[in-house]
Amino acid sequence: MAAADVRDMLDLPAEGQPRPHKKQKVVEKRPEGITRELFALLGERAPPIAISENRYKGRPKWMSKLRVRPWRMTPFSNSARSDGLILNHWQRQPEVSKAPALEGSAMEVDGPKEEESTPQALGQESLFAKYNIKARVPRRYTDEEYNRHLKNDDWSRAETDYLMDLVEEYDLRWVVIADRYDFQPQPVDAEANTGALVPAKRVRTMEQMKGRYYFVSASMLALEHPPSEMSEAEFDLHEKMMKFDADRERARKELAALQLNRTADEVREESILLEELKRITASEQEFINDRRELYTRLEVPVSVGNTTMYQSSQGLSQLLQTLLQADKTKKRRSILGAEAGAAASPASQTPTSNAPTNARDSRAGTPSTAAAAATGGAANGPTNKKAVAAAAAAAANKEAQQATKTLTAAEEARYGVQHHERLAPGVQFRSDRAQKLTQAKSNVQTQKLAGALAELEVPLRLVMPTERVCKGFEKLIHSVNLLLDARKVAEKVESEIRVLEAARDAREAKDKDKEKPVKTEQQDDQLPPESADTATAAGAAPTTTANGPTTTAGASAGGDKNTLGDGDSKAAEAPSTSQKRSASVLSNGSDKSSKRQRK
Amino acid sequence: MNSSIPPSAAEYGGDEVSAIVLDPGYSTTRAGFAGEDTPKSLIPTSYGKYSVDGNEKLIFGDDVYVTPRPGLSVHNPMGRDGIVEDWDMAEKLWEYSFTSRLTGAKPGNPLQNGLNDISEGEMAAEMEGVESTEERPLADSPFLMSEPGWNPAKAREKTIEIAMEKWGTPAFYLARNGVLAAFAAGKASALVVDVGASNISVTPVHDGMILKRGVQHSPLGGDYISSQIRALFKSNSPQPITITPHYLISSKTAVEAGQPPQAKYRTFPPEKAPDASYRNLLEERTLSEFKECVVQVWPGPNKLSALGPNGIPNEEVARGTPGRPFEFPDGYNQVFGVDRYRVVESLFDAKAAIPDPESAFPAPTQAQTVPELIKNALNGVDVDIRPHLLANVVVTGASSLLYGFTDRLNQELMQTYPGPRVRISAPGNTAERRFGSWIGGSILASLGTFHQMWISKKEYDEHGPSIVEKRCK
Repeated sequence: MAAADVRDMLDLPAEGQPRPHKKQKVVEKRPEGITRELFALLGERAPPIAISENRYKGRPKWMSKLRVRPWRMTPFSNSARSDGLILNHWQRQPEVSKAPALEGSAMEVDGPKEEESTPQALGQESLFAKYNIKARVPRRYTDEEYNRHLKNDDWSRAETDYLMDLVEEYDLRWVVIADRYDFQPQPVDAEANTGALVPAKRVRTMEQMKGRYYFVSASMLALEHPPSEMSEAEFDLHEKMMKFDADRERARKELAALQLNRTADEVREESILLEELKRITASEQEFINDRRELYTRLEVPVSVGNTTMYQSSQGLSQLLQTLLQADKTKKRRSILGAEAGAAASPASQTPTSNAPTNARDSRAGTPSTAAAAATGGAANGPTNKKAVAAAAAAAANKEAQQATKTLTAAEEARYGVQHHERLAPGVQFRSDRAQKLTQAKSNVQTQKLAGALAELEVPLRLVMPTERVCKGFEKLIHSVNLLLDARKVAEKVESEIRVLEAARDAREAKDKDKEKPVKTEQQDDQLPPESADTATAAGAAPTTTANGPTTTAGASAGGDKNTLGDGDSKAAEAPSTSQKRSASVLSNGSDKSSKRQRK
Repeated sequence: MNSSIPPSAAEYGGDEVSAIVLDPGYSTTRAGFAGEDTPKSLIPTSYGKYSVDGNEKLIFGDDVYVTPRPGLSVHNPMGRDGIVEDWDMAEKLWEYSFTSRLTGAKPGNPLQNGLNDISEGEMAAEMEGVESTEERPLADSPFLMSEPGWNPAKAREKTIEIAMEKWGTPAFYLARNGVLAAFAAGKASALVVDVGASNISVTPVHDGMILKRGVQHSPLGGDYISSQIRALFKSNSPQPITITPHYLISSKTAVEAGQPPQAKYRTFPPEKAPDASYRNLLEERTLSEFKECVVQVWPGPNKLSALGPNGIPNEEVARGTPGRPFEFPDGYNQVFGVDRYRVVESLFDAKAAIPDPESAFPAPTQAQTVPELIKNALNGVDVDIRPHLLANVVVTGASSLLYGFTDRLNQELMQTYPGPRVRISAPGNTAERRFGSWIGGSILASLGTFHQMWISKKEYDEHGPSIVEKRCK
């Protein structure tokens, strides 16, 4: 039975992976001059000493059949030379031998005979002539051009000529040009010069030479093609040459010289600084890595709402267990928080009790909020009682610690002091909180939200998530939510109306019975509540926005807490004051309408 | 690789034209065919002169050393600064350098070499018509010669004149030996430090051209070191050492170190004795042996007289190193300790020179030392190429073979220029160091691209000797 059959039976893919190659046995060739028996004794591994026989390695047999191609001293000339110098080199005779023609002249150098024999050699010799390259220098100016465009007080015509000659001669190697530059001005009149002292020799620096040359060549380029007609490369060149700044070049060279002539101490210092810089950048990298890690830890994966596991009783009991566990930890934390709050309370609580400012009214009394929060916590579960006690203790404590420094609202805003109603466990970013707002329950809603934000040109992730920005963002999201809900409801209602109207029309057309008025009544009954709902929804948006200023003005620092407190206190009757409530009301409304629609 | 297939010319850019390369120096003259790796002909630049029966005779080559002929005097056609002084003798000497080993004796004109002679008077008339072609030694070899970077224009013109008119070379070129040494190291731009017999020269080379303003040279070459060694011998501690060359010793017996020599000397009657310059030449040979075996450059860091990096005087450290023995031709031998560092210290630290009022060399100035020369050379060139030059320092010349020379040079340069990267390229191969500029010439003259650089006979005839200034830049 072949392996393929087995695979077939077991439904395995045919030949999942190539089978490993069989190790090929390396058969070592037995060197000559060693008997087979002795070689067998050597085993697999080759002997450490190479056994080789010194034997003359003759030419391969096929070579003896070749015809010998002789080498000849052949005259040649280089086309890069103007004087037609003829030199001799050894060349392999080509297959078609013209030996007799060359033989006589091979060893001689110059002579009339050479002239006839060289042309054949000349044809093949241009191998190195192609390396004869000259730098491209501009066309030489005429007298008129010079006088019109290139005149310069510093540079005489003769010196300019000399410079251009040098540049051409040394192929723009400025280092060499500056080295060889030795311009002897022609004495204007010999008599005056002999009497006078030897004129001080002008030393031209390389920058001066470059400046002059670039000016001349740029001008010549411009004369040839006006700048408007230049090709791009030419224009670039022209620009570059026109922009040559001798002073800057000189300054650069001075700096370079300074850099070169640093002392050992300076070099050491620089290396230390570089080392430091390297370390800083390395640790910066580390810092960035740390932060990234923190972010990944904070970004809780969005739970995919799969509730099937809670539908069994076992799942439910497990959920209970986890909730209890969470509660326990929360309790412990709240104790800790209370103690911390006792220490930190003066700063947070004194303004309300100590300063009878106008802020006080709007704040609606911190203790009461704290108490309200506590009662809310107590309502949540009996385990929170301790927190209530702690809050009370803190409230009592603050009386004693009133003497410590109090901060006005403005100062609080300045120092960024914040009061938290409830601290979530662990560290979190403010921006993340703002971020969470943009995530609605349903994907469609999230997308709509994002769309609305995009329309407003507000980035999904806040650029500068300061406290105020976050708050504003929060408000914005709420209003957007409200508007979205309102729209949804409106759309639903409209579609319902349309459907019903269509039905009515159909019915009217079909049979003009007496049932018709009843139907319309029913419809009328249905409509008002919904319109009322939309009205509340529409009203909710203004109220929240109206609520905004009061919270920000009243409690710049503890606004969050305040609104929540307010929401708690008035939760039952006035849902519109609390943004969350209003939202939930809206959603309730939409739920209702959807239910009705289903009906 | 199959030897029957020629390497394609494009592969290495070579195209041999059987050029002859001559690299004349103060101590030796090197000549050989381009494309070879060492000069075939290496002769001392010194020549001997003596007279037999009123006829003046000259000795060239190594033969100078061999026989102490009566009245033999030794001369050098080169001046101390590497410029030719005696042109007639220089020409003869150079001619000897390549005719003795390279071009060889030519088969003469068959009409004149006597092999085809027939009986008297038969062909006499025809002989008149034939132009007597005087065989020129370089008639079929292009000729490349080297010269120091500070060679005056007059000397250059004289050189091409000799090559073209006396030797009849079809093509000639005069290259700076600094450039050639850079080529030998495979660099087109380099700072060449050439430590020769009579001179130390520093030549900045950029793109195969010397930068004249940067060329520096000082007389602290191998001969100066010899004079320092002589000064050391004079003030030697157990007893002053006199150098007796081999030709004055007929037999010797071994003695303990530091003991006076026991040798039988040869004496020459005054009329048979060679000139003092002959003895001097042979003493120099002993001294160069001494330099090869004993002399050592303090490797640094810091000068020999200064403190070392860990606070111990360098001299103490030098004293701690084991000495080196040397036996003189007369059998006297001694172990040289810290003194062997001292004789060359003045190449780097002028104050460390051993004073010797009788020496031909004046006490060196700080500006003549190697680090100062390099500094001045660099200050003479554009600042942009200085770091590049420092990263391409080429050390060449036989005297740079002094033990530890490159280490010390490296230390000094690193100290002077702590910022830029200093990199010294000194071939470890002795021949490459001794014949650096010749090898560069050998490379250059065998390049295919060099064909267009030659000054041809035609051009010379057209422009005269001044063409050398125009072409050999």
